[in-house]
Amino acid sequence: MRRLTGAAVVFAAAFLTFAFLVLPVVAIFARVSPGRLVAQLSNPVATDALELSLKTTAIAQALILLVGTPAAWLLASRRFRGRGLVVTLVELPLVLPPAVAGIGLIAAFGRFGLLGGTLDAFGIRLGLTQAAVVLAVAFVASPLYLRQAIAAFEAVDQDMVAAARTLGAGPGRAFFRVVLPLARNGLAAGEALAFARGLGEFGATIMFAGSLQGVTQTLPLAIYQEFAVNFDVTLAMSALLVLVSTALLVALKVTLQWQPSQRTSRFLFAASS
Amino acid sequence: MRRLLLVTALLAALASPAAASAPRLTVFAAASLTDVFPQIDPHERYSFAGSNALAAQIRQGLPADVFASANVTIPDQLYEQGLVERPVLFTANTLVMIARKGNPDHLHGIYSLGGDSGLKIVMAAKGVPVGDYTRTVLAKADLSGVVGRAVSQETDVREVLSKVALGEADVGFVYATDAKAVPGQVAVFAIPRQFQPKVNYAAAAVKAGSHLAAAEAWVRRLKGKAAQRKLRAAGFLVPGRG
Repeated sequence: MRRLTGAAVVFAAAFLTFAFLVLPVVAIFARVSPGRLVAQLSNPVATDALELSLKTTAIAQALILLVGTPAAWLLASRRFRGRGLVVTLVELPLVLPPAVAGIGLIAAFGRFGLLGGTLDAFGIRLGLTQAAVVLAVAFVASPLYLRQAIAAFEAVDQDMVAAARTLGAGPGRAFFRVVLPLARNGLAAGEALAFARGLGEFGATIMFAGSLQGVTQTLPLAIYQEFAVNFDVTLAMSALLVLVSTALLVALKVTLQWQPSQRTSRFLFAASS
Repeated sequence: MRRLLLVTALLAALASPAAASAPRLTVFAAASLTDVFPQIDPHERYSFAGSNALAAQIRQGLPADVFASANVTIPDQLYEQGLVERPVLFTANTLVMIARKGNPDHLHGIYSLGGDSGLKIVMAAKGVPVGDYTRTVLAKADLSGVVGRAVSQETDVREVLSKVALGEADVGFVYATDAKAVPGQVAVFAIPRQFQPKVNYAAAAVKAGSHLAAAEAWVRRLKGKAAQRKLRAAGFLVPGRG
């Protein structure tokens, strides 16, 4: 009897969890017919926001990949004093409340911020510009990529790199021909996570970049603002983000499960540890 | 099982306000009332935002007892839709232009915004009461072009205020009472009387609220001596006929 009640509680908890997490997502699609949702997406607020979100996310992700990849490689391949501290600090934006991220960006890059005077001397004012959107997205999204990239690089068999080097490959060639291909799944997974986080960025953006249709108003900002104006358009934009996020999540799972020939080739070399 | 009951009870306690003798009301109020309402009555639960966003929440059934808007149009609409009781005019305000602390851009008033000034101007979005008032002022002053040059369309007046107070924007349009709430942090420019819109505040009890009688009494008290004294001290005005 006791065991039965125990099982019932567990099942009830599982059902509650599932229903609680799924219901809000389903509700977005349940309120209005799909045809009407699609029609709402032609609203200029929605099209402008979509275009802007794609543009700023693309720029931010390119920056994250270009700057973050070598940085992650360095952190993964070097052992130095204070490394743990550096990695922790790099991961910090991940757990920061978005509003704190916004205040931090203003305190650092705002006109009266730490670097504000220097930037002003060059005639650069970041606050309330599209560049501010990119900065906000990069700030909150890059730690997700960096974390995953560091782990992926750490998993690369150093003997493989050493072998490439003894066979005459320079450090650059070894990196591009050996390290990158071996780490690519982890890197792709990190990028998918960073992309999803960047696309959803809200708090830091609205504080640091403001909200102007077609200039700084990304999809989440448009959803927030349009809520007071037209609920159907809000639903449509939310539905679109649900679909994109779902696609990213599926892509992430596929990437993580799909293993290139790395497994078998490892036996060609001596065990690494 | 007992644990489940405990969790349910806990959730129920969190979701419903304590059913004490004096019910604690949930008051949805315009962002410009952020400082003064808790002074009038610290006992209630407040949610401050743009009046249009609060109205949207009421339309979507979020539990509010009182709605206080920075204009009369929005509560009137909700009244016609049968969502609130008859709105009551309780105070008024004026619009001002604000600039960064110390006026480093040497502005003189709204006409400093004419032409391509290169200034970073922020205002509230269309539909937000203060955003609509700003558009009225600019249209009356023949400066409607300024709207298109704004670098951000905010969702409530306090966001406009903070963008200018932080120095991210150069110029903004807020209520006189907002500028008064951050003394010394922004430069304030009066807007000539002939351009001023009629800024009247109306409050109404929300019909779907669970304490309708108490909510109606609360709205009535806004016109009482004590509340009016607090409003006047914060810079609010006696409502005009609008």
